Amino acid sequence: MTDLSADPQTERRMNRIDLITGGVFAVLGLAIVYLSWTMPRLEMRGIHPATVPGLVPGLLGLALAFCGVVLGLKAYREGRGAGGWSDLLALFRTEEAGRFCAVAGLALVYALVLVGRLPFWLASAAFVFAFIVVFETWLSPEPRSLLRSTFLALVQGVIVGVVVTLVFQYGFLVRLP
Amino acid sequence: MPEGLSLLGHGIAHFLTWEALFNLAWASLLGIVIGALPGLTATMGVALLVTLTYKMPPDQAILCLMALYVGAIYGGSRSAILLAIPGTPASAATTLDGYPLARAGKAGMAMGIATTSSALGTLVGIFFLALIAPWLAEFALRFGSYEFFWLALFGVLISGRLTAIEDPLKGYIAGILGLLAAMIGMEGLHAFQRFTFGVSALGGGIDLIPAMVGAFGFAEILAVMKRRFTAELVTSDDRVLPRLADITRYWRTTIRSGIVGTIAGIIPGVGEDIGAWASYAAARRASKERDQFGKGSIEGLVAAETGNSAVIPGAMIPTLTLALPGSAAAAVLIAAMFIHGIRPGPLLMTENPAFLYQIVGILLLTTIAITVFGLSLTKLLVRVLLVPREKLMPVVYVLCVVGSFAITQRMFDVYVMIAFGLIGFVLREMRYPMAPLVLGIVLGELLDVNLRRGLLLSDGDVTPFFTRPISAVLFAIIAMTILMSLPMVSRRVTDLFKRLDSQRPAG
Repeated sequence: MTDLSADPQTERRMNRIDLITGGVFAVLGLAIVYLSWTMPRLEMRGIHPATVPGLVPGLLGLALAFCGVVLGLKAYREGRGAGGWSDLLALFRTEEAGRFCAVAGLALVYALVLVGRLPFWLASAAFVFAFIVVFETWLSPEPRSLLRSTFLALVQGVIVGVVVTLVFQYGFLVRLP
Repeated sequence: MPEGLSLLGHGIAHFLTWEALFNLAWASLLGIVIGALPGLTATMGVALLVTLTYKMPPDQAILCLMALYVGAIYGGSRSAILLAIPGTPASAATTLDGYPLARAGKAGMAMGIATTSSALGTLVGIFFLALIAPWLAEFALRFGSYEFFWLALFGVLISGRLTAIEDPLKGYIAGILGLLAAMIGMEGLHAFQRFTFGVSALGGGIDLIPAMVGAFGFAEILAVMKRRFTAELVTSDDRVLPRLADITRYWRTTIRSGIVGTIAGIIPGVGEDIGAWASYAAARRASKERDQFGKGSIEGLVAAETGNSAVIPGAMIPTLTLALPGSAAAAVLIAAMFIHGIRPGPLLMTENPAFLYQIVGILLLTTIAITVFGLSLTKLLVRVLLVPREKLMPVVYVLCVVGSFAITQRMFDVYVMIAFGLIGFVLREMRYPMAPLVLGIVLGELLDVNLRRGLLLSDGDVTPFFTRPISAVLFAIIAMTILMSLPMVSRRVTDLFKRLDSQRPAG
């Protein structure tokens, strides 16, 4: 269910976001229409012209562009007033933004860098360890002692890494990356 | 009818083996735990379990997935009652009365009532599943390309309309994005590769399971960890086992909520959360104690829990007979069925009639399992709620990565998971619903192939799409859905109804 709370700052922010995303969807939709229009129509194979591969993506692109324009226009009409853009920029300086960057950063480094370069169990253990330590000490409102957190995180990391690897490698016969 | 009853008997007996009962027990318990933990949802659980069960025989794999699904939707009520945080979105309405009851020292009673209501809700839904599904499957045999095109479009649109009540436009955009994602890869009519941009891995299209693990797993981890967590666990030592009088007292609410939940399930892509809210609203309107709703009303709790559980069997009706997912988790189940060589759709009742009744059997047995676990394992489930999310979420993410990788054993699926996780997170933060996106991915090919096949059959003429009887009805419903989401149209229609209503006593 969507969040129905409507404090004015959040609404103003949402309004500016809708204005931007409306534009993005409109451009994306038109780009898809262009790609669909220029898609091969397979005349050489003698297919019926009403069944060209670009037909449905083109129609969907048009629909997306139309919805994007309506979304942007609606946001523009409702969203006049001062402070909107600065509210939006402030969003990137909140504590929540910092916490998001930490999770996303750790998750991406693990899946895109560590997995495949290190043995799977070690990569997973390192990820679990780093995640727990970061969120229990650095980003916690009530930080735990670093030593205790580090020790327990290390134990959990190694257990998770080894168990997941063993279960998938030998239980499900998956050749892990 | 006798044939149906005999198939139903076989459906239940099929799973009365030690192996099946063992699978049922662990999967439903795991489901309850997943549901109870805030941040782990039923859809995420089912998507991850697909990767763990794909080597099992098909019937056992589907048993595990269904048991986990039912368990998770029920399990969400635990954290809703004890922490005031819905364990899954399906239990948001449960929080309204469950938590005040817990604060008043009636946590045990609230958990007991939630358990029996969930069980009764599932039973009402099962009744309609066994009744409607065979009939609907037979009816759907009359559908051709024209009807399937409208059906796919209807599924995405109605899901977009009803999951984004505040702004249906965002629901529609989410649906279109899902449909566009389904356009990537080889198309089904001429085997032409679309939007692959030279990336060979995109040729096969986007697999649903990694996309779902991303949109419901990784995105959820990002959303949960972004927020600071403050919750107070409220428990009490009162009696958990409800008295018979407490259960039978609200029998009207139970039946009404069961029916409302089943209808919400039947509507494509409208899940347990909407089922719970709709039956809660209906119960409040009809109740004599409506002022108690939101302050610890048992009737409110009964309505919410019956409503969300009835959605599951309801959602299986279009899922099995039309291959049109009734909820987000049902979309994963469709993908799982295809992995195991079961083809849901109108032909299911012809090709594999026993399967429908096996699903009914699974749901009945799972209802018994969640009732037993729910009423007996209260202490253990309270301990589960105390697991800190800093320790839990990294483990879940490792499972998301390995789960996406496991099915086809290629890193490309991990990248798909990450992309859908990030996109899903951003879209959700901007209040776009996820269900229409998922429905779009599932129904994209159905829509694409049937539109073009229809045009091929009619030699490019679009009139059959509007003149065949079933097509015309579906088109009218779609047009009405879109028109009613325009504020000026819906305002005028509401005004008209109000005027007619005010004239009624005079006339």
